[in-house]
Amino acid sequence: MERVFWVACPQCTGRFFADYEELRFADVDLICPFCEASFPVEESPEIDDRPAH
Amino acid sequence: MNKDLGQFLDRLAQQRPDDLHVVEREVRPADFDVTALLENLDRANMYPTVLFERPHDVCGDASRFRLVSNVFATRERCALALDLPVEDAGLPLGLEFARRETRSMPALVIPRAEAPVAANAATGASASLHRLPMVRHHEMDLGPVLTMALVLKDPDDGFYDVSFIKLFHNKEPRRTVITIHSPHLLRILEKYEHRGQRAPFVYVLGHHPAFYLGSLAMTPFGTNDYDAVGGFLGEPLRLTPSETWGDDILVPADAEIVVEGEIIPGERAIADPFGEVTGHYQAQCLRPVGEVTAITHRDDAIMQDIFPGHRGHWNLGGIPKEGSIFNAVERKFGGVRGVHMPYSGCSRFACYVSIEKREEGRAKMVGMEVLTHTKFLSVVVIVDEEIDPYNESDVIWAVLTQTDLERDVTVVKNAESFFFTAMGRSKLIIDATRPTDYAFPATNRIPAAALERMRVDEWLADRSVQGGGWSR
Repeated sequence: MERVFWVACPQCTGRFFADYEELRFADVDLICPFCEASFPVEESPEIDDRPAH
Repeated sequence: MNKDLGQFLDRLAQQRPDDLHVVEREVRPADFDVTALLENLDRANMYPTVLFERPHDVCGDASRFRLVSNVFATRERCALALDLPVEDAGLPLGLEFARRETRSMPALVIPRAEAPVAANAATGASASLHRLPMVRHHEMDLGPVLTMALVLKDPDDGFYDVSFIKLFHNKEPRRTVITIHSPHLLRILEKYEHRGQRAPFVYVLGHHPAFYLGSLAMTPFGTNDYDAVGGFLGEPLRLTPSETWGDDILVPADAEIVVEGEIIPGERAIADPFGEVTGHYQAQCLRPVGEVTAITHRDDAIMQDIFPGHRGHWNLGGIPKEGSIFNAVERKFGGVRGVHMPYSGCSRFACYVSIEKREEGRAKMVGMEVLTHTKFLSVVVIVDEEIDPYNESDVIWAVLTQTDLERDVTVVKNAESFFFTAMGRSKLIIDATRPTDYAFPATNRIPAAALERMRVDEWLADRSVQGGGWSR
């Protein structure tokens, strides 16, 4: 099973998720689908990257 | 007369007028107007094709294009697209699909002056995706998305490969992020990338539905899909030189709108989330970037869209596989009575197969064969020939009453899979056929002669009840 992680947009607090392998530790800004703000993962006020059991 | 989308819609209006609804009011596809209406229809168990006469473009201005969606949302319309009677919308449709996979027809090249799609061309800064009535489908989607078919030409052998691919809206009007999942298109793209070359792409935004059904044929790598599509259209696909590359890259002449562009080697940008076929969003990820070079369209063009994760999307994946699975299993074992990829499994994850059970253990063998046919599948249920695989209630009845969990359920672990579901890499084979190697109760049955004697159309021809008079 692929792994994902959830973030919250620091601008609008909208929550969405991204591909763990490609983006969890990549030097790439995520884009919020709700307000189009770009931000690094670590600026997310919450990160849920718990793996599947 | 050459087949195109407008001709199909005319035929629908004449032969099945209830199958086509027209919305004349202005709608904002990028603000969920289109998918909200389709979702409300879906909740009412209504699946008409819907033609929006006055959609807005991404900028909020009136678009010069009309917009149509839900074309593939019933199997009956898919049958009509292949010139089959609607009564053949069940298994015969899948079998006809499999037959046409082997009936390739060489494409026909015509001059641009004769090609409807070349009637209008925008190049340079005018080639703006923002002028299209792009649809934003689901709440968490990254933005509006084009959902139709992309064409790449193999740089070595010159064949064209066509498959459904998403193009994402971008703030820059000539830039897009392209999410390619098709293994064949990925192989071709890798060739360009290894050479550091831009990959010319053609995006077909509207054509006769048989064009798109043909693009899904399960043909081997190296097949010229333009020729394969002809087998589904029942006539050679007409092509014409592209606006950007001329004779080097050909485009479908009878398309509604064609977007031409180039995929930049090695460049990746953010794509997704996007509400996918599974009913879940695809996670945000990195995908190749394309630059638009031209947009051409016929007069009064109609842009086509798919409602992802709904019946049209499901039919496009399920119907092609039903026929090819039937043929593969029949060749190997014989005795196959029906194959169905149900909507409950998004026409991707689950497959119900009914067989004439000739010996104990046969069902499990059939299940293993089906599982290896496509990596999309997670669950295969085998039922007896008396069970109609299109009647899901009967299939589940067979599972609940005839399956011994100790021996008839097989979990295959760590097998190649495609979609993100909680089943992960595990797959399931369920033998729901009636056991034959020990004493087992018989299924309730009405004598066949009595069923024939008491036909509904004969005994209840006049079902009207007037007046009542039974209360005492």
